Amino acid sequence: MSYFRITLMRSGIGLPQKTQGVLKALGLRKRMTTVYYPVSQSVAGQILRIKELVDVKEVSAPMTKEQMRASRRPDPGYYIEQKAGEAMWGYK
Amino acid sequence: MALLTRTARRALLETRFPLPPAFLLPLRAHITTVSHNLETDNVPEPLIRSGQHISQDLKDKVQSPPQLPSDAPPPASPASRPSPHARDSIISTTITPTIRALLPLLATQPTHYITIHIHGRPYLLTQGDTLRLPFQMPHVRPGDVLRMNRATHIGSRDYTLKAPEPVKGNADHVKKVYYLDERLFTCRARVIAVETEPVRVEEKTKRRQRHVKHVYSKMYFTVLRISELEVKGLEEYEALVGE
Repeated sequence: MSYFRITLMRSGIGLPQKTQGVLKALGLRKRMTTVYYPVSQSVAGQILRIKELVDVKEVSAPMTKEQMRASRRPDPGYYIEQKAGEAMWGYK
Repeated sequence: MALLTRTARRALLETRFPLPPAFLLPLRAHITTVSHNLETDNVPEPLIRSGQHISQDLKDKVQSPPQLPSDAPPPASPASRPSPHARDSIISTTITPTIRALLPLLATQPTHYITIHIHGRPYLLTQGDTLRLPFQMPHVRPGDVLRMNRATHIGSRDYTLKAPEPVKGNADHVKKVYYLDERLFTCRARVIAVETEPVRVEEKTKRRQRHVKHVYSKMYFTVLRISELEVKGLEEYEALVGE
């Protein structure tokens, strides 16, 4: 099953209430918000109403908000090699 | 002879205008409001079609859809498109000829510097440096030894080993950040302290009110010392890669 990945690239401020209502219905609250919906006719119709504002890609699996956050997060760049006090453990 | 040619020329001129003047001719054309050009009855078929001529090339093109070259990469599957702002860390492990030639020179030259990345932020350091991080590192205590494993530059006085430049992400592909292979170097840091700053007091006031609210805040910063920085030689690195 495939999904639409919809990202709001341009704000809906100043657009007619109907257009802003479509954005609200899709859960696109502010710019660069990304939502996933299963591919269906009704969602396709909603996307067509706001096609000038969004970037749409077809993906095979949706991502949760936590997964999107995790994918943005950079590597920590370190790991704890030795805890304090562990160096003397062998001598006890 | 001259006379003959003159008569011949006259004969030619006369054949060029064989018809008498138009007003002497009988009225042959139909008088009609329909344009003669639009009547298709008496126009041959190829002439009608001449406006919409379709070349053989175009016919071939329509018959066979465009074929990609056989060595073209397969189209990206939808699965390989995660979140648009995601980042991808790539650690290059190939030993290029340049690395093969210059790594021994870099490794033998003393005092190296390194650009390590902690949570995606770069810090240019050498051995013995003290680094006050702009945050409190979670789950560490003074005395812990950290191993740094993300670096983009290793350098000495004359040589620098750089990872490729990061590629900015867009709607089609995620951001790509390139790091050096962590087996190329050994960088250890010891947590030596957790520093604090003086308490900040911010005065919050409302209009037409005598009350002043004080908001206190105090930040904690982890301090690291780079206890060990070693760059591996080529043989050592090749042995590690070969494993």
